[in-house]
Amino acid sequence: MNVRTKRTVNTTIGVILTAIMLFPLYWMINVSLTQPVRLRKDPPDLIPIDPTFDGYARVLQDQLPYLGTSLIVGLGTVALTLALSAPAAFALAKLRPRGGGAVDFVMLIAQMIPGIIMAMGFYLIFFNWGILDSVLGLILADSTLAVPFGVLIFTAFMSGIPEELMSAAKIDGAGAWRSFRSVVLPISRNSVVTVSLFTFLWSWSDFLFASTVNRGGELQPITIGIYRYIGNNTQDWNAIMATAVVASIPAAVLLVVAQRYVAAGVTAGAVK
Amino acid sequence: MTAMQTVPRTGTGGGTDPRRGVAPTPGATRPAERRAERPAQRSQRLRHQFVAWGFIAPVAIYMIVFYAYPLFRNLDLSFRDYTLASFITGEAPFVGIANYVEVLRSPTFWPALGSTAVFTLGSIAVQFALGLALAVFFYRRFPLSTTLRALFLVPWLLPLLVSASIWAWMLNSDSGVVNAALAVFGISQVNWLTSPQTSMIGVLIANIWIGIPFNLVIMYAGLQNIPDEVYEASSLDGANAWQTFWRITFPMLRPVSAITLLLGLIYTLKVFDIIWIMTRGGPGDSSTTFAIWSYRLGFGGGSPDLSPAAAVGNLLIVIAFVFGIIYIRTQRRTEDEL
Amino acid sequence: MDKNRTARIVGATVLSGVFVAAALTGCSSTPSDNDSSGSTEYTLWDPYPDRDASSDWAKAIDACAADIGITIKRNAGNTGDTVKDLTTAAAGKLPDIAMVDNPKVSTLADAGLLTTTDDNGLDVSDIQENILTAGQIDGKTYGVPVGANTLGLYYNPAVLEAAGVDIASVTDGASLTAALEKVVASGKKGITFSAVGTEEGSFQFLPWFWGAGADLTALDSSEAVSALTLWTDWVKNGLAPQSVLQNTQGTSWDEFKTGEFGFAENGSWFKSDADAAGYNSIQIPGENGKPAPAPTGGEFITIPIQKDTARYATSVKIVKCLTEGNTGADSLGYVAPTAAGQEAQLAADPTLEGWVTAVGDAKPRTADNLGVKYGTISEQLYTAVQNALSGGLSPADALAAAQKAASEKLG
Repeated sequence: MNVRTKRTVNTTIGVILTAIMLFPLYWMINVSLTQPVRLRKDPPDLIPIDPTFDGYARVLQDQLPYLGTSLIVGLGTVALTLALSAPAAFALAKLRPRGGGAVDFVMLIAQMIPGIIMAMGFYLIFFNWGILDSVLGLILADSTLAVPFGVLIFTAFMSGIPEELMSAAKIDGAGAWRSFRSVVLPISRNSVVTVSLFTFLWSWSDFLFASTVNRGGELQPITIGIYRYIGNNTQDWNAIMATAVVASIPAAVLLVVAQRYVAAGVTAGAVK
Repeated sequence: MTAMQTVPRTGTGGGTDPRRGVAPTPGATRPAERRAERPAQRSQRLRHQFVAWGFIAPVAIYMIVFYAYPLFRNLDLSFRDYTLASFITGEAPFVGIANYVEVLRSPTFWPALGSTAVFTLGSIAVQFALGLALAVFFYRRFPLSTTLRALFLVPWLLPLLVSASIWAWMLNSDSGVVNAALAVFGISQVNWLTSPQTSMIGVLIANIWIGIPFNLVIMYAGLQNIPDEVYEASSLDGANAWQTFWRITFPMLRPVSAITLLLGLIYTLKVFDIIWIMTRGGPGDSSTTFAIWSYRLGFGGGSPDLSPAAAVGNLLIVIAFVFGIIYIRTQRRTEDEL
Repeated sequence: MDKNRTARIVGATVLSGVFVAAALTGCSSTPSDNDSSGSTEYTLWDPYPDRDASSDWAKAIDACAADIGITIKRNAGNTGDTVKDLTTAAAGKLPDIAMVDNPKVSTLADAGLLTTTDDNGLDVSDIQENILTAGQIDGKTYGVPVGANTLGLYYNPAVLEAAGVDIASVTDGASLTAALEKVVASGKKGITFSAVGTEEGSFQFLPWFWGAGADLTALDSSEAVSALTLWTDWVKNGLAPQSVLQNTQGTSWDEFKTGEFGFAENGSWFKSDADAAGYNSIQIPGENGKPAPAPTGGEFITIPIQKDTARYATSVKIVKCLTEGNTGADSLGYVAPTAAGQEAQLAADPTLEGWVTAVGDAKPRTADNLGVKYGTISEQLYTAVQNALSGGLSPADALAAAQKAASEKLG
């Protein structure tokens, strides 16, 4: 078959696969619009019959501050993670100090520690430093989800940057920091976007750290905000699912935009 | 991501190796050479080390404060007998390995180990296979492929509370849409999360769903690392798509696959929320993994047994550690072969 | 570098890191210095994140604060995390007032996190006796209930009428089973409840357990087995859906509200919801013709230990304000804890009588001097229920295993 047909077939298959993958999200929207008395109907409604928008009304009224906080925490976590992991990875990959291998190994081990252990430790540390219930504390906590991963990814990527580029910079008289800033970072745009993406997503969906170190703060992220709709005996499913839907939209847009950016970087000026 | 070799060359922090044919970088010298160098060179080398560690220092301090401390506390918890009262009085007698013995002798130990193995290996195997298949598919670059690929990441946006709740909803034995769909094909009701035989399958499905995006992104990046010339050469030789994939693509993806599988394993070992929200580790113990068991011992069950919970948590870390060592040795051997 | 060297460097780094970390985090200002918010701000932790600033509960707290002339900073968290949160906070600073689910009070008291009425000077003389005992260990009182709730058997009159069931005929397990069969024969579903693998599951099973004459210290008695067999047979014979194993009480209520069910076991907090939908309720039938004793639910208000003991006097005033009368209990949908409060509630709504009686007949879960042991027993109980209902074990085997595990753990 010709290229055009092949492309159309591929696109169709792609759409179907994506639809299957995203079906639970559709169900989320379905539940958010379902009347409470129909929630547990057997068999369930495939499309919301007599939809109710109460959940969304409540969410738009309550949750915007939480969304804003999640956004700030997410961006802050990305900034901190990049600031910590990129220079370290550069050193490990390009400067290769003695003991560098051990650092790599530690990065792997660090990710093995279960979250609840980390959370309980953080509580004590943050309490002693006075940053409990604060956005800064949450940023610090969430960054632990991503920093080791970031170091691993950046190290892997930067190892592949050809030595000629580094030598050229050295001949021009650049020190380590200049090489990092002017030569390595611009080329690493793709890995920067990737690490940023993962960091943001992990931070956005974190609940464990938020509930441990920010239980009573003025500014709380959306994962805590959802608990406004979970009482000790009842759950308001319309509002819970509506919160998830509303929270996903801006982040989904961010995702699509970011992917385009990575793709653009791939085809233009690829480093082999 | 381009030119990504995902093998962090652990264990090779310094030193040149003529077998590898890698040009020596400044500061990485062998002892014999070091003895012969002049003082100027030596101070330059030291300064180089100093600068390099300067880049690493912030992360190093960060790791010590935020990782070493919780780990230390957990080890402490597991070697003492902590009760809730200990948090007030500060008293917790040292009991050596008693907690570990208690954990190993518990009737939950072997089932939990089995469940952990099934859950972890089942998850990473299927996640990886599907992620790779999707990556290969999306690599064909048809219209909308970029957007669709981005949409595949949306499951990650959801708080785990929501994803787990939605899956629990869809897999509900009576009012779930999955059973409703199966009924259309004449399959009788499957008690996904309420029967000990299928509860593990239920949580596996949910966990795999959540794990696919990670595998997709990393494997896709790995595919981008393979130069186009390789494909051109292969098609010139008359190989079809299937052969190209198995003989050329897949072997070249080995380093990426290794790190993906390892990270997948480490992350899956830690998985807690999904299983807890969907089944609480039940019915009975049928979906209780080590992570669930640890939480249940500490906070989820009847009485707070913090020390055994910490012991189970540490066992989890040990398991991950063992796989980490295996990974590094396999990497070293692969590198030696090159 | 060879592996040995790597390992040694890692070991050295970790060890030195550990010491540095311990030093860094250990030496700091003592927690009591952080009372920067001043002595007129009191912190209150409650498990009602769904009751926001505009809810009656928050308003009740604000009213109390205004009355006493202080500010109360309210912090609402998920009820499942209360023990974890208080434990974590114990290393730092505990709140002035903590509201805890009543079976957890003995756990926290045993840990030394709570003050007794001797310590804080709270007067509990007008609190109804049977709901107060959940907070009493060895004769000392560690908290007071903000209100009480309990379980009952709701029914859908329309479904029952269509099935030809007379509610007066439901007097014990057998007659209830017969009624369920009639309901199912008429095309509807029988009964929904919650048998989930958490404390909620034990809570829901206890009326049947106690109604059969069983005792929590002997989970494998024949009475216990007959109670569990009742439930198991319902699920096996299609009189109760499989989803009961997953259901929380909230989910079970959502199932009931679809109108497909004849009966639902659920709590007094749904009374207004039930009134609006036209449902009624009776007490859960026991096996000897009398209503079964149901467990008391509802949170306790406790006063955790503070370094500055002068704060207890004001904390006591807050507790008094919230438990006197019926404002606190009403805002949460509970029955008031004092006789005066209950009279006020009945005056406002006479249909509450059935529930007030039920609460009077109810039994705390930590009664019979079980105290801290209840948590362990309860865990085995709901595990046994899950094993039996899911078909993994027979009721007798499940309960035998539960009793064995409980005895081993409790020594």
